[in-house]
Amino acid sequence: MKSLSNLQQAFCDLLRTSDPPPRDLMDELLDDGTALERFNVYRNNFIVLNGDALADMYPTVKRLIGDEAFRSLANLYVRKHPPATRTLLLYGDRFPSFLESIPELSRLPYLPDVARLEFGWTCAYHASDAKVLARDEVASISAETFTRFGLEPHPSMHCIDSDYPLFSIWAANQEDGSEETISLDSGPSRIVIVRPGMEVETREVGEGTFVFLQRLQTGDSIEDAFNLALQTDSAFDLAVFFSHHLFDGTFCALRAC
Amino acid sequence: MRAGVSLKAQHYQPVIEQRPSIGWFEVHPENYMGAGGPPLGYLERIRRDYPISLHSVGTSLGSHLPLDRDHLGALKGLVDRFEPGIVSEHLSWSHGRDWYTHDLLPLRYTEDALNKVVEHVDQVQEALQRKILIENPSTYLQFRDSEMTEQAFLVETARRSGAGLLLDINNVYVSCCNHDWDIEAYLSAIPANLVGEIHLAGHTVQAMSRGTLRLDDHGSAVCDEVWKLYKNCIETLGPVPTLIERDSNIPEFAELLGESIIADQVLTAACSKYEVAV
Repeated sequence: MKSLSNLQQAFCDLLRTSDPPPRDLMDELLDDGTALERFNVYRNNFIVLNGDALADMYPTVKRLIGDEAFRSLANLYVRKHPPATRTLLLYGDRFPSFLESIPELSRLPYLPDVARLEFGWTCAYHASDAKVLARDEVASISAETFTRFGLEPHPSMHCIDSDYPLFSIWAANQEDGSEETISLDSGPSRIVIVRPGMEVETREVGEGTFVFLQRLQTGDSIEDAFNLALQTDSAFDLAVFFSHHLFDGTFCALRAC
Repeated sequence: MRAGVSLKAQHYQPVIEQRPSIGWFEVHPENYMGAGGPPLGYLERIRRDYPISLHSVGTSLGSHLPLDRDHLGALKGLVDRFEPGIVSEHLSWSHGRDWYTHDLLPLRYTEDALNKVVEHVDQVQEALQRKILIENPSTYLQFRDSEMTEQAFLVETARRSGAGLLLDINNVYVSCCNHDWDIEAYLSAIPANLVGEIHLAGHTVQAMSRGTLRLDDHGSAVCDEVWKLYKNCIETLGPVPTLIERDSNIPEFAELLGESIIADQVLTAACSKYEVAV
């Protein structure tokens, strides 16, 4: 008879393989001739429960490659990267790079980016709550000094860029029956995901906005972030951007730099 | 005393908008261990109108490995925030050295496993500063060297730790069918004073090369056999808070509500018999 620790370790290690279980584990089980089938229920549960969590996280990837292909990739992924935490809320963080490593998927080069977007969406969904930047917080600062402050983006913010028209690909797959044709040559895409309240917002933004928000996220002042944004996108208009987004929940606080 | 149902994300909106007449809602605390966001926001909103119970799936009470202090801390945080009427966990284990199966794996019912489970239940109750209930599992295999029956193991766990029991009647039915155990013997071994909650759920039947196996997938309505067992149990135990459990193949909320009304009727009849305040 195996010790409790050896029995449990052998049992759970075997959930990750499809190899026949070794004799010494099977000897631990009461066998009426169906012990292997009974053990395989646990193997199947392990793959299906965690694979379902992955399918919930990556509905667009699943839709793009089909249920069957997704299920076989999920089986591989679950065995290779089983959950490392007690909750499944963010299970699947390595799925985008896992997809990149699958040679058969090289004809869908945008797929890992779709997965990055979907992972960012779920991270935003479960991210910390934060209060929205208040008008009086900004009003108390003189116009000259305002740009020397930093702006703290909402903790749910994720910035994702792609060489492919990622936003169009993602958006076309959010509703059933969309037959839209998207040319992969239609240029790069930059996406900002943010959840100011209960709803996750997925916005496609211009290059200037993207750089501006990324720089603010790393702690730059408004002035520095704006200058860098302008270098990459001379059309970036800070006044227009602020009129839409300064108080809409994109930001939660001013920060002295 | 009223029946409750599992609270699923699909039903946040209908519950908030329609405020259905239902006793309480049960959630898996592991689904509310994110930093923030809609799940916690909705649960807070729903908690204003209904009692909540926490049914944990991540403690891994039966593991040979130590409990995870971070997980316990997160569980305590939810207990403090939502003030649940009941906190429960399964008689099972679920993790390896550095990874988690997220399944409820079966225990070998031996004295050393019992000591480990009792030690872990003590630690959980100490950390949460409250009594918990331990649920009987659905199992698909048995270990050759088990030294006692599952029901004896459960009752002994409760006696030594001071925990109560969550009697899942569907699980009793599933395990007894799967292992050819005597259902009457199982149920009659459970002392009424230990049972703090009852679970009812559906299961599926899968063919094996010899015979069939019943799988506890919480994906369908409670079956007739389980309803019958439930009515008999309530006759014996008296009224016990009862939950309609559903974790997959989630139907419209009305369907779960319908099942909870059936349980309510059984409980109401028992309350009048036992002269318990409804």
